[in-house]
Formats: sequence, structure tokens, C-alpha cells
Amino acid sequence: MKRELIDYPYLEKPVSLYKLDNGHTVIIAYKKGEMANVSSWVKTGSINENDKNNGVSHFLEHLMFKGTHKYKAGEFDRILERKGAIINAATWKDYTFYYVTIEGKYIDLAIKMHSDMMIDPVLPKEEIGPEFDPNGKAPDDKRERYVVIEEIKMGEDNDWGKVYHLTNNLMYEKHPYKRKVIGTADIISRISQEKIMDYYKTFYTPDNISTIVVGEFKDEEEILNKIIENFKFQYNKTAPVIKNEPELIMKVPKYEEKTSETSTGYVMFGFLTDVPKNLKETIALSLLTGILGGSRTSRLNSKLIENVDKPHYNAIDTCYYQFREGNNFFIEANFDPDYKEQVIKEIKEELKGLNKITEDELKRAKKRTLVEFVENAETVSDIAEEIGHYYTVCGDLSYVKQYETTLDEITKEYLEEVASKYLDGDRCAIGVVMPKEEA
Amino acid sequence: MKTYKQDGFEIIVKNNPKTPRACISCYFSIDNAAKYAGVNSLIARLLVRGTNKRTAEELTLELQNNGIELSSEARQDYLKAETVFLNQDFDLAKEILHDVLENSTFLETSKEIFKLKGEITANLDSSVAKVSDKFTRTLFEGHPYGNTVTKTLEEADFITADILKDFYKIILKSKKVLVAVGSFEDEEKVLNILKNEFLFLQNHEPKGDIKDFKVIEEDKTVKIIKNSANQAHILQGWLVGTADSEDYAKLVVMNNLLGSSGLSSRLFYELRDKQGLAYTVRSSYEVLRHAGILSFYIGTSPKNINKSLDGFKTEIIKLRDNLPTEEELQGAKENVLGRLAYFSQTNEQQANMMARDLIFNRGTDYREKYVQMINSVTRKDLSDMAGKYLTGKSLIAVIAPEEYLDF
Repeated sequence: MKRELIDYPYLEKPVSLYKLDNGHTVIIAYKKGEMANVSSWVKTGSINENDKNNGVSHFLEHLMFKGTHKYKAGEFDRILERKGAIINAATWKDYTFYYVTIEGKYIDLAIKMHSDMMIDPVLPKEEIGPEFDPNGKAPDDKRERYVVIEEIKMGEDNDWGKVYHLTNNLMYEKHPYKRKVIGTADIISRISQEKIMDYYKTFYTPDNISTIVVGEFKDEEEILNKIIENFKFQYNKTAPVIKNEPELIMKVPKYEEKTSETSTGYVMFGFLTDVPKNLKETIALSLLTGILGGSRTSRLNSKLIENVDKPHYNAIDTCYYQFREGNNFFIEANFDPDYKEQVIKEIKEELKGLNKITEDELKRAKKRTLVEFVENAETVSDIAEEIGHYYTVCGDLSYVKQYETTLDEITKEYLEEVASKYLDGDRCAIGVVMPKEEA
Repeated sequence: MKTYKQDGFEIIVKNNPKTPRACISCYFSIDNAAKYAGVNSLIARLLVRGTNKRTAEELTLELQNNGIELSSEARQDYLKAETVFLNQDFDLAKEILHDVLENSTFLETSKEIFKLKGEITANLDSSVAKVSDKFTRTLFEGHPYGNTVTKTLEEADFITADILKDFYKIILKSKKVLVAVGSFEDEEKVLNILKNEFLFLQNHEPKGDIKDFKVIEEDKTVKIIKNSANQAHILQGWLVGTADSEDYAKLVVMNNLLGSSGLSSRLFYELRDKQGLAYTVRSSYEVLRHAGILSFYIGTSPKNINKSLDGFKTEIIKLRDNLPTEEELQGAKENVLGRLAYFSQTNEQQANMMARDLIFNRGTDYREKYVQMINSVTRKDLSDMAGKYLTGKSLIAVIAPEEYLDF
């Protein structure tokens, strides 16, 4: 077992990172207060899926709550929630994570039940529900398979989701990031319990899981020992390493438009950028997110909404998602559909304007980033999510330590260089959702 | 903790040592009905859009240069303005909060109305937003609580800057609460600073014209057609007791047990886990000053509308006719109190919780009282609450494709 101490901004003590002999990573962070959080981050998500099993990571996430050999379906939720816990899980492209946030006095129970769920899921067929043909008659016994299908339908009714998926699909040629994390109703209705269990055994291995505990602990070693005692992995020791061809910069412009029963228009500009390990560029793009969008004085907001008498935008913003095999930068807007062409032209103009960044803009963006560090250290769940994200997506928690010094090094000239490298309005994906024309 | 109370203005200062960010939250009671829907929202928006000292742009730039957050929000019963900042920026943050509360100009009202209408129109593309609006507007027809976003769309163009300024003057004379939570070593000193800074809020002319709303006259169902929808969204609600009612804690625990505890509530277990009807199914208990609303929500396949409504009914009857187990009751209580701890972690959360307690006249020791009230709820109370409120008249709002609305 190896131990590494990492200074973490705004925490009273350094964070301990243990690499156990079986490959399992355990991270323990001290945070004073009533609450504690235990979570496990599995390095698998839609990145490890293909056209036949797309959605399996997310479906498995649902099924992990359906019981173990010790606890029947529903007992995990019932026992912990009856102690006031907040429990849930989430699946994304690179990872799936499971968490329990609970009063610190119940941390032993939380570790015991969380570890049991992680290492011994049964995935009972009666909880999954029968396989069926989605174009035929629906089975009477609907169960969790149907819950996920309802979740898929819910997403299909969301117009922001619609324009995101349209744009995301355009951004990639072949990379698995092209697929929806939630998968399709067609696959979810037919995938067998055996295939889901195989997927679990392949990717829920000790070397592919990091367990994070955050709270006010008197004895860190005691917490570590509880994790070691409870996480007795019983299947494979290592997960396969799947190599994907990287897609880091779009070479040609792509445009696609769809209609929906809406009264406003939605547009998204999507850009592929480098991997999170390129910390300096990642921070630069994060700063550009703040300069372009996110506040009233940001360029897009001030020029297109705040300083216009009757803006044709209802909302405009930027977002930046970090993924292990290449980050995504987005500009998204909701607008009066009569102005579609103008909206696209105006956003492209603003992108061109990134060849000139002011010192004031840089200063404000840096200040905002530093305040975000403080914000993300206020609750046990935020701390756990930050740590989980850095360790799982960047692959190294020491990036947290390097963040502030790298941020200091960034100049406006460097931002202009990064903007010109990646944020070209003529080399990106543009997805648009417009109102259906009335018959 | 240090407190101050004079002429309808209360201040609380609480020290949480070694916390880097502090919060000052100021709440104003809304006791009067505005002339048009949207007045309170526009006041909240324009409060932070420039003062006699700072233009909107100068204000925003100053906040951003210092990493200070400033926000305002209007809810049915109160207007709130809040600043969250790093400890070292206390002086500037409190001065800016003072400035916006005393000197906002309410310039550019017509521009803000235009923007608000655009945002509402975009938001109403969502089925859930549409059905929630219809539900609330129908339930509170003729009452200020029925001033929803669709009503705002209809009435916003009648609103002028003078109407906003006049109504803000009325709000300024209502009850006010200011709570500061942060790493304040000398609470007394901070209290005195805040007393002097916000002296202008010490004016109180209590009067209110908003009436209680306690009865649904008849069962009613309202339907919205959305033919492209993959899912139907259903809301069923009942008027129940408010926080002043002797039933309050019983209703909180019943709501938790039925549908707000997370993944193990009865509605979740029966309608989602066992029947696979939905991804989202829950109950909510919204406590306003003049009304309490307990509602059930489900997003489901349009063909499952009847099955879902039957599912709601089954759970109500089951609870009414069968006492929950002692274990289930204790679990619901622990869940309520555990969530309270979860949502009180940051200084901002704590400031808001205390400010709400004071603005609703619950006192500074309400948290202890609340814990006692929750712990005193019995199994019989929960069955009684289901019988007393949830078998009475209700309002159902549904959005779905037309072919499924014939039920």
C-alpha cells in the first residue's frame, strides 16, 4: 500500500491518497462538520460501450441498487434513508459514481452498505423485468427496464437535451463520446441480465475504482481499515484498457437542424479541445468560458442581451465539459426563431473577437475561478465530487495542487492563442432545434 | 449568536469559525397584493440592476472584480437580497447590499419586462413548467399566489417603473430580517456594524391585504394538450395546513413517508420500483404563509395516466386505513432531520434558513422546536392526516397528447 499526501485548497488538512495492493484507490479528506460522504467512482461510462450495449453503464447504475446477497432490493435505500442519508448515483461518459451523504455518526453503516453494494450486486432478473420488443406489446411486468425507458423519454422531451445530443453527435466521427450516455430504448428493452453482469465484472474491478470518504474523522486509519475490510472484491482484478482513436479538433464545419413542439429556437456550438491532462489549456478554456458567458458582463450576455433594448436572445451561455479523452466547449442559446440566421452570425462574430482579450477580463475570470475553489470546499459532497472528478477524469489528484500556480501563469496572449486554436466558428458543430411549422 | 430587534427589523449574526466565505441575507415580508402579476419578480430583477451610485454595468464589474455574489429573488411571501463573499470583502459586500436596497433606480423597466417575457416563453417550452403553472394558476385563481408566469406574460406590459418603485416602498415598510453568517470572531462588533449600515430599514408600518386560502371548492381536472410529448406529466394537489397549523409537523412527516424521502418513499417504491411507471415520482409539501399545498407528481407514459392516478389514490387509502409501522415512522422522522442537517452545511444555507424562520415569525430557536415537533409525531397522526386532507377535494393538472386526455 502506498500513501500520498496532497495539499488541497481550503481544507484544514492534506488529503490522503492510498493506493492499495489490489489496485483499489482510497482517498480520505478531513472536513469539519456534522455530515460525512462516502462515494465510489468507477472509471467506466459510455466511453466503454459500443453500438450493441450503449446505455449499459447507466442501466447497471440503476440495477446496483437492486440488492446484494446480504440486502434485498430496496433495503439499501430504506436503511440508509431512514438514517437521514441522501443517496444516489450518476453515470457520465468517463465514469459512474455512487454516493451516500449522511450524518458523521452513521459513517460506519454507510461504508458497510455502500461497499456491499459496490462489490456484490445480484442484478435480480425479477427486478430488471423481462426483455421485450419495443415495437411490439409492452410486458405487464415493467420493473427497472421500464424506469430507464421512461427516463429516456423524459430526456427526449427536453429541448436543451435535444440540441445537446444533436450537437454532440455531430462533433464526433467514431469516438464513443458520440453516443448518448443513457442509450436507446431499443437496446435497454433487449439487453440481458447476463450481459449486464459481464459488463459489471469487466469494469468494476479494484484497479478501476476509487473510494472517497470526506468528513470529520478522529482517526483516519480507522476509516481506511474499514474500507479495506469491507471492499473484498470477488471478480476480476483489472479492467481492460480500451484504446480509442482521439478526436481533438474538428476539421470541417457541421450543421444540423431539427424541429420540435417549441415556441423558441435553440442553438448549440460545439468544439472539441485537448485532454484535461493538458492542464494549462484546460484552465485557459475554462477562463474563456467565463469571459464569453456565465455572467451579465460576459461578452455574449453584455453584447447580445444586456446592452440591447429588445434582445432576440432569451438566454445565452457557455459550458466546458472535461473528459478523459478530450474536452468539449459549448456555446448555447435560446432565441426568437425569427432571428436564427442572425443568431448564428452574431455568435460567430463574438468568437472572432476572442483574438483580443483585455487584462480586466482576464483578472475577473481568474478571480471567479479562485472563488469557485472556495465554493467547492464548503460541503462534504462538493469536496468528494471535486476529488472524484480530478482523480477519475484528470487521472491525478496533484492537478488540484498545480491548478493555482498554472492559473497564475496564464496571460491574455495565451488565452488568445488557445481561442484561435480551438474556438473557430467555421470549424465546429452547430446544432439547431426550431419550432415545428403549424399545419 | 447575537441578535437585534427594533421596529420590525431583526438582525442575527452567527460566527462559524474558519469558514472562508460569509453570507448576508436580507428578507422582506410581502404582505400586500401587487396590482399586476410579475411586479415582485421585476422588483427583484431590477434591484440589482444599478443604483444612484453605480450603473448596472459598474455594479456588476465591481462585484466580479472582487468575486462577490449578489442576488435577489421574489417568492410568494417574501423578497430576498443576498450577498456571498470572501471574509476579507465584508466591508465592500455589506456596502453594496446597502446600496442596492436603498438606492436602486429601477431604470430600464421596459427592457427588463421584454427580457422577462422572453425567458418565460422559453421556460414554457418545458412540459413540467407548463403543467406546474396551470396547476398553481387554477388552484389560486383570484388570489395573489395565482400570479404565475403565464399571468405575468398577460399583465407585464401594464407595469411601469413607478408601479415598481411604489410597491417597493410598501415592501420596505414591512417586516425585515437580516442574517449574517460567517467567520466573525467578534459577533457583537459585526452586529453593531450591520445595525449602523442598515439603519434605514428600521421603519415598520405593518399592514397586509393578502387573505388566507384554505379551501378547494370542488374536485377539478385541468388538461393541456401537447401532441409531441413522449411523457405525460401529472400533478395532483390538496390544500393542507400551513406552518402555523397544529398539523404542520405531521404533514412534514407524512409527506416524507409518502414521497419526499428519496429512493425509499412509498410512491417511489410502489409506482417506480414495483410498477416501472416513471423515472420521477414524488410528493411535495409547499408551505406558504396563507396556504399549504401537498402535491403528488409523476412523469409517465401517456397511456399510464389512469394507472398513475389510481396509484396515488391507493397509497392515500392505504395510509389512511393502516397505521404505518413504528420503524417506518422513525425512519421518516430521521430522514426529515437528516435532510435538515444536509441542507444546513454552508453559511449561505444557514443564513437563509434562519432568515426564513424569522420572516415567518418562528423565532431564533425554531430549529430546536422543529426537532421536538417532528419527534412528537405518532403513527396515528400520519393516518389521520391522510384521512383529513388527502381524501378531500383535489386539483389535478395533466399535460399529454390529446388522444390520452380523455379520462
